[in-house]
Amino acid sequence: MSAIKKWIVYLLLAILVVTQLYPLLWLVLYSFKTNEEILGGSFFALPQNPRFANYTEAFEAGNYLRYLANSVIVTVVTMVCVIVLASMVAYAISRFRWKLAPVALIIFMLGLMIPMQATLLPLMTIFKGIPFLKNTLGMLILPYIAFQTPVAVFILSGFMKGIPHEIEESAFMDGASVYRIFRSIILPISVPPIMTVCILTFINIWNEYILAATFISKESLKTLPFGVNSFVSQYAVNYGNIGAFLVMGAIPVILIYFILSERITKGMVAGAVKG
Amino acid sequence: MNVLKVPKLTIAVFVLPCLLLYVSMVFVPILFSVYNSTFQWDGLSSVKEFVGLENYKNILLNDPYFWPAVRRTLMYAVFSMVEIPVCLLFAILINRYVRKGNTLVSIYFMPVILSVVIIGQLWKTIYNPLDMGGMINGVLHFLGMDSSMKAWLSSPKFAMYCLYIVSLWQYFGYHLLIQFTGVQNIPADIYEAARIDGAEGFKADRYITLPLIVPVFKISIVLAFIGSLQAFDLIMVMTGGGPAHATDVISTLMYNNTFMSNKYGYGSALAIVLVIICLVFTVLINTIFKRVENKVS
Repeated sequence: MSAIKKWIVYLLLAILVVTQLYPLLWLVLYSFKTNEEILGGSFFALPQNPRFANYTEAFEAGNYLRYLANSVIVTVVTMVCVIVLASMVAYAISRFRWKLAPVALIIFMLGLMIPMQATLLPLMTIFKGIPFLKNTLGMLILPYIAFQTPVAVFILSGFMKGIPHEIEESAFMDGASVYRIFRSIILPISVPPIMTVCILTFINIWNEYILAATFISKESLKTLPFGVNSFVSQYAVNYGNIGAFLVMGAIPVILIYFILSERITKGMVAGAVKG
Repeated sequence: MNVLKVPKLTIAVFVLPCLLLYVSMVFVPILFSVYNSTFQWDGLSSVKEFVGLENYKNILLNDPYFWPAVRRTLMYAVFSMVEIPVCLLFAILINRYVRKGNTLVSIYFMPVILSVVIIGQLWKTIYNPLDMGGMINGVLHFLGMDSSMKAWLSSPKFAMYCLYIVSLWQYFGYHLLIQFTGVQNIPADIYEAARIDGAEGFKADRYITLPLIVPVFKISIVLAFIGSLQAFDLIMVMTGGGPAHATDVISTLMYNNTFMSNKYGYGSALAIVLVIICLVFTVLINTIFKRVENKVS
């Protein structure tokens, strides 16, 4: 009886693997097919002659490397700024004595409930009026930092509250300044929550589409998600090339997931549980 | 000494850079929108006609697309919350029957890390008509059910359900992972003690797993709920709110009014309505859960 039960469970789990992964595998197969094979419409068939030309053509037609570089710049700069700025605020909120600390925390927590898309139009008008921001990646980076800080402040201040005060006290007795204590004691201790913040920021910003699509019009500033989407709409009937470009768009994040899957899943759970 | 007493200037140095950036990118735009929402304005001409609360009145009373969009937004939330008990069930099964549960869960998690653009475009090709190589229609054709074949995303009747399915598919792994971690964190010796008392299998789940999983379950529900209120970019990538407004949610309605029809004042009012709905419902769901928790304990 229990053996049957066990096999039923395995069967269910196996079906689930198929439903969760087959669409992705299907895309990979698709990306190696000729247009005729794709339009033939069989839902499961290996490409007869894997057509690598889909990839070379897609690579030549689109600005893949440009998009990739922009995404790397935007994501890395956002990550660094979020960590520096949010950990400073978190430190002040959780360890300093000032009356407005709870108010500051509430202001940041409000941000968790505000959907980013509600700020699109006013932000666009604001950026149009700032000459040195107009047509730079700064138009993305600034709002990205702002919208990532609430969850970062929340996670970091929660952690920092728990650091024993004796550590700070003895450093204080030895004459270290607050800045020094923050840099050489608090930050190194806070590496685990900082990793969590890094992962959440990476996944959110790397994949962000709508802000980029609304603010960016120059080809040379497009990030990977926006670039992939405009490639798809531009080459609408070259199905194989589109498949190849989608796969190329997915590869960086998949690679990172293969290397860091445990870190990423742990970070996403920690972010969810604390956010 | 419990908390550091530091000069005001130091506090300012630590807080202000972040706070200023945050306020100017999040709150200032919202205030801008509130202001703009009292005008009729196409964004291009310098003529801005003050109309007071007219835009809000039109949204609530005269816009034929607004209330259906609200309904779809709420349906989105309901669908994504219904998924979570299923995730919990699978989490319990994996924890009991699979030795390397972590690895299996991280496989299910894969779709979560991909951009909506990849997910959206992938599913668009899956939903394509047969003569464009769509997978669903390919399966139906293979099964001889040609009469059920459709251009799924161009059908006003089915398009919205197609979108719900993609969201459920993408976030299944996310909620499964959260529930699985919760189940794993229940100490093994509780089950051990229950086994000695004669409670095993689903009986143990009923009396141990379920009560102890409530906080984690709540987290998933709240995340799913808030996530679907804000649902936006997947719809923009896949249908843009069409065909004929059949997949409009509040966000897409706001976006299309603002950026496609250049109704900046009206769009701003919709943005404010969206913010208010998000705030109200988030507070509401948190209060409900507090009530429930207080009753349980």
